[in-house]
Amino acid sequence: MTALANPPTATPDAYARQMTRLTLVWVAVGLVLFPILALLGLVMRTLQAGYFRATPPEWFDAVMTLHGLGMVGVWFVAGLAALSFVLSAYVRPSLTVSKLALAMTALGVILLLVATLVGRLGVGWYFLHPLPFHSTDTWPAWATGALFGALAILGVGWTLWAADILRAIAARYRLSEALGWSYLSGRTDVEAPPVVVIAWVSCIGVLAGLVAAVVILLLVAIEVIGGTAPSDALLIKNLTFYFGHMLVNITMYFGVGLVYEIMPAYTGRPWKINALVVISWNTVLALVMFAYFHHLYMDFAQPRWLQVVGQVSSYLISVPAAVVTIFSALVLVYHSQERWSLAPTLLYLGVMGWAIGGVGAMIDSTITVNQQFHNTLWVPAHFHTYYLMGVVLMILGAVYHLATALTSERRELSAARRLAVAVLRLRSGDGAGSALLGHVPPDRARHDCDGIHAGHVQPWPSVGPACRRVMVSGRPEVSVHSVRALAS
Amino acid sequence: MNPSLAIFLVSTLVIAATFLWVARSTSEPGAIDYARANRLRGVFGVSLGVILAIFLVLTLPRLPYPVEAAAPAHVVNVVGKQYAFSVSESPGPQSLATWEAEFSPVVEVLQGALVEFRVRTLDVNHGLGIYTPQGALLAQTQAMPGYVNRLRVQFDQPARIPRCVWNSVACRTTRCVP
Repeated sequence: MTALANPPTATPDAYARQMTRLTLVWVAVGLVLFPILALLGLVMRTLQAGYFRATPPEWFDAVMTLHGLGMVGVWFVAGLAALSFVLSAYVRPSLTVSKLALAMTALGVILLLVATLVGRLGVGWYFLHPLPFHSTDTWPAWATGALFGALAILGVGWTLWAADILRAIAARYRLSEALGWSYLSGRTDVEAPPVVVIAWVSCIGVLAGLVAAVVILLLVAIEVIGGTAPSDALLIKNLTFYFGHMLVNITMYFGVGLVYEIMPAYTGRPWKINALVVISWNTVLALVMFAYFHHLYMDFAQPRWLQVVGQVSSYLISVPAAVVTIFSALVLVYHSQERWSLAPTLLYLGVMGWAIGGVGAMIDSTITVNQQFHNTLWVPAHFHTYYLMGVVLMILGAVYHLATALTSERRELSAARRLAVAVLRLRSGDGAGSALLGHVPPDRARHDCDGIHAGHVQPWPSVGPACRRVMVSGRPEVSVHSVRALAS
Repeated sequence: MNPSLAIFLVSTLVIAATFLWVARSTSEPGAIDYARANRLRGVFGVSLGVILAIFLVLTLPRLPYPVEAAAPAHVVNVVGKQYAFSVSESPGPQSLATWEAEFSPVVEVLQGALVEFRVRTLDVNHGLGIYTPQGALLAQTQAMPGYVNRLRVQFDQPARIPRCVWNSVACRTTRCVP
């Protein structure tokens, strides 16, 4: 890992620039793939609705496989890229490892596209063993090889990436600090921010999930290449759903970590580490590894006590999420100076979607209910609620926030100049609104400022904050936010 | 309405209303009383804990998994393959090669009797669902290579099985006799 770390000659500014550029590439990949994969979801629903009856049925399964694996993968990498960017304010993740992960992701995606769209591989995201080897001539053997090749490449790339994040955190914080235990013991001299604790917990979860995937690949390889007896189907199913469960839940935590870090910038209130946050995320780390049993309720051969552990863990893990994170997010916003621009709105809605989808997930994690809901539309419905309306909104909000900040930095000089001119005009009684808002008509600008004072919804939210800051205080505040507002 | 759906819809309304209320509060910025907020957090946490405990107490004793103390009145063997199930009182097909010869098309079970479906598969994992004639799901389990999953059902109405999740095209039926 040391060999892959950044060269010591890289200056902080150069590192920041490269990190910015790399993050934008990751985000661009996500934003390009997302609508395509979403379109595939629409295709599936259209086929289910009875349209395009001439389409061979194996296409549905192939599209479902690509949609499932693709969506989870896209938001995993987008989330981890955004989290890495945010973390780079505290620690120094390797750019080289991130680039390597990007290259391996691109290769894995190409293999996956070929396997599904050319080979018509239709095994679902869970590629449940031994289905990939029982195609009944629906897909060729090379498509199965391409799938496992893609999984291996993606698995290695993402394992390196997550391990590097842990390395970067460990380079600055001890284990007890990264997990917040030092805070519990009363040591507050080295205080890791919540996003560091969440990133640590998340990346441990990623590694645990990817280790399960590696074991699956090894077992399958031993069976297929070595010609040994068939692998234990229940064991492989446990490993498969452990892998998938961890990957999806950790992606959620990436989004939540971004909310912890970014939301305070809009509410004007800190979201600092405290005992509750530490206990909450350590509890999550312990419970998320056992909650995956809820995926195997319909496997009656699974020991009964493991099924009970699945339900109890699924119930318990909702407590830190609801009582600590979601409640704290509401406290953070309540009567705050939140300006509902796009980024905080998406972050806030993401938390709400997470909460609503979480209720659907908890209901489904009840064994007696799951017996009715398993393999029904309830499963994709609740999943899409907390994923599409939860983590996706969180990551999009974070990406918009980061993109706005990056754009503002470029324009900061010119914006500051405009602000200075505006201040001069304000002092000379030249009409604050038109001067501050530039192209905005004076009557409209006055309306906006009045609207802000009256607590109305701001028609042009990017203009409002700067206007308010100047008008309310009676003197200009040259803050980052006001400059950004003008620049945008 | 399905109770689970009702719980979900009510919870969704409460959550959405809470988020909307909090969002609207930002029109009047002000300081927040953190002590009061934490007291409310405590009440919320205890309430959530009590609700979860109640649901655990109510649902865990009703698990669908077989308990050895209760012997089934009737045993039905279900064997899955791509894309069909064999349902029989005999052990059923032992391999894909003998599938056609050992396939049993119809099984009759008594209404009200405890029936145990012993579900296995000859190839890959399958989902097995038992539906009412109206298409409502009565019970389900999965077939897994190398394992026998035992699903116990008491029929109080006619039922048809099975359903195979992987594009089932050749499923046969069983009949529940009143």
